[in-house]
Amino acid sequence: MNEIYFPEENRLGKRTILLTFFFFLWFFGLTLRLIELQVIEHSRLKAAVLKQNQLKPEINPERGTIYDRSGKIMARSLPVFSAFFLPSDEEPFEQQFARVRQVRKILELSDKELQNIRIKMEEGAPFIWVKRKISPEKAEFVRRLNLSGIDFQEEHKRSYPLGALAAHVLGGVNIDDKGAGGVEFQHNSRLQGEKGQSLILRDARKRPYHLEVLKEPTPGQDLVLTIDETIQYIAERELAKAVEASGAAGGTVIVSQPSSGEILAMASYPTYDPNFYPPSSPEAERNRAIQFNFEPGSTFKIITAVAARELELVGFNEIFDCSSGRIRVAGWTIYDYKKMGVLTFSDVIIHSSNVGTIQVSYHIGPENLFKMINKFRFGQKTGIELPGEENGILHPLKAWTRTSLPAHAIGYEISVTAIQILQAMNVIANRGCLVPPRITRERPDPAGLIEASASPFERIIAEKTANSLIDRIFEKVVLDGTGQAAQLNGYTVAGKTGTAQKIDPATGNYMATRHVASFVGFVPVEKPVISMIVVIDDPRTDLHYGGQVAAPVFREIASRILLYLRQPPSIDPAKKVVTAQLKRESER
Amino acid sequence: MVRKKYQKKEIILAATCLLLAVATLTFYIWHQAALINLGYQIGKLETDILRLEEDIKKLETHKTALLSLDRVDKIARDKLSLVEPKEEQIIYEDFKAPDGQ
Repeated sequence: MNEIYFPEENRLGKRTILLTFFFFLWFFGLTLRLIELQVIEHSRLKAAVLKQNQLKPEINPERGTIYDRSGKIMARSLPVFSAFFLPSDEEPFEQQFARVRQVRKILELSDKELQNIRIKMEEGAPFIWVKRKISPEKAEFVRRLNLSGIDFQEEHKRSYPLGALAAHVLGGVNIDDKGAGGVEFQHNSRLQGEKGQSLILRDARKRPYHLEVLKEPTPGQDLVLTIDETIQYIAERELAKAVEASGAAGGTVIVSQPSSGEILAMASYPTYDPNFYPPSSPEAERNRAIQFNFEPGSTFKIITAVAARELELVGFNEIFDCSSGRIRVAGWTIYDYKKMGVLTFSDVIIHSSNVGTIQVSYHIGPENLFKMINKFRFGQKTGIELPGEENGILHPLKAWTRTSLPAHAIGYEISVTAIQILQAMNVIANRGCLVPPRITRERPDPAGLIEASASPFERIIAEKTANSLIDRIFEKVVLDGTGQAAQLNGYTVAGKTGTAQKIDPATGNYMATRHVASFVGFVPVEKPVISMIVVIDDPRTDLHYGGQVAAPVFREIASRILLYLRQPPSIDPAKKVVTAQLKRESER
Repeated sequence: MVRKKYQKKEIILAATCLLLAVATLTFYIWHQAALINLGYQIGKLETDILRLEEDIKKLETHKTALLSLDRVDKIARDKLSLVEPKEEQIIYEDFKAPDGQ
């Protein structure tokens, strides 16, 4: 049988095999490539796609509001917009940057800001802030320009409607709304809430086509301060006047309610506006009420007097010879500001005689004085809820030298903060009980009245000691002694003045012309409504004593506060008799 | 083949059932549409509420700034020429001596 030959069919079969083989190779190549993309390079490529396709910027939550004790707004976060730019790979760099330059004037971009944006674009950043926290009006203006790649995210901006008032208490926040000072920092976790997250989806050309909120942010909790706006204003105004008039480097005033330890005002000068945080000078940011260590001078004689009387080591009428006006202590001569003759113990403190107080200290002894200083918690923080509180400096007893006992007795060789001295005076005002100071409350007091809330207290000296010291010494400091400039017509005032020489940091010696002047006191004596400390750092006029510089500030502030609190005089100014209480508005 | 003749009753019943089904379906669709529409309205109103709440907050803050004591003090002194009262000009209301004084 002859075989029939079909040359065409043979060729077709070969071609089919070739084609199949080619397809197989092609498919095999594809499979290899797929394995490479999906298995070997999977994680790297997935990350690259997500980077190109998705953005998940955080959403800052609305920060809690800060109120004063009567419910007035001291700090609040308001909605604003932040402009961002999403660069594209498809478009030339200069073309994209031109769009950013187009909004330069509207968004008030500085050269530096513009340069930063340019650098980030060159580095290939996928998300760039153009301008944070701009007004809704500006955002709308830019939005109308319809510039590709520029979009907005809603954020919050911290606003302090009372301006510089209570700046050192409030502190401030940074651009991300994170507390950076004051209660904003101390209570940041409570105020800030929880961050949310948004999702931005982009196409291959990096153009955003979808924006959604993945996780809603949780707003922060509100905070109520013990500060009273009016009292704070009075304190700040009078402090600024006093510092400027005396040419001093700075000063501080703290007003508190002794029974509760609540701080009604805490002023520090120089100051700043928390709306523009951080302040330009670090000195302005320093809260001198808690961050300024100073040798207190004669205000510390409060502790010496308490130690002498609590331990009954010195009688009120015991006599001390101060006639020479000076005393030698371990090679040093310590002077009184004038020769005072022979004084009783009471008069020694009333007239603030260093010579007399040093003699008193020898009756007390170093151990007893050290124990009393410790009881009043010097050398340790008061625990007020503000950041950066200083401990003060109290040397351990074993480090005391021959000069330490007399020096401590008159307020040298020890450093304190203003709030520590006020806490000590509050022990006297509270008839022997120590109530730690505090700056926050549970809830506002809408009536705006000074209502005491329960506070933990500890009795550290006998009531009898405190009462006798008030009657026999601290009231008379203001009536007849160094604190007469703190007298208030119609009110009984108790207090103590202080003037301490400053140390020259270069030589380590005391400077005869540089002082820290202070006055600490409370009013009315019978049932103290307010206590206050005034510290003026380095007054540069001829008047530099606490009784001359700080006591008048106490008087000015206290008289206005008592009027504001509707606290009637306890003595008829004309007749000098005790008068009635003024009815409160709520009782009428 | 004999065609079944439906009774009038059956036709009416079937028609009623059909009508009811159509009506129910129509009502359901209308109901769903209305719900969706209301949902949009609620969403819009909620957005409006949020915006108004933000506006209230802004206005409250602005009011606080306008009533700040520093500003009031400046206006009182500079624009209205007011001065602080002297001690003898202060009269305490309901001021009476206590018993035994």
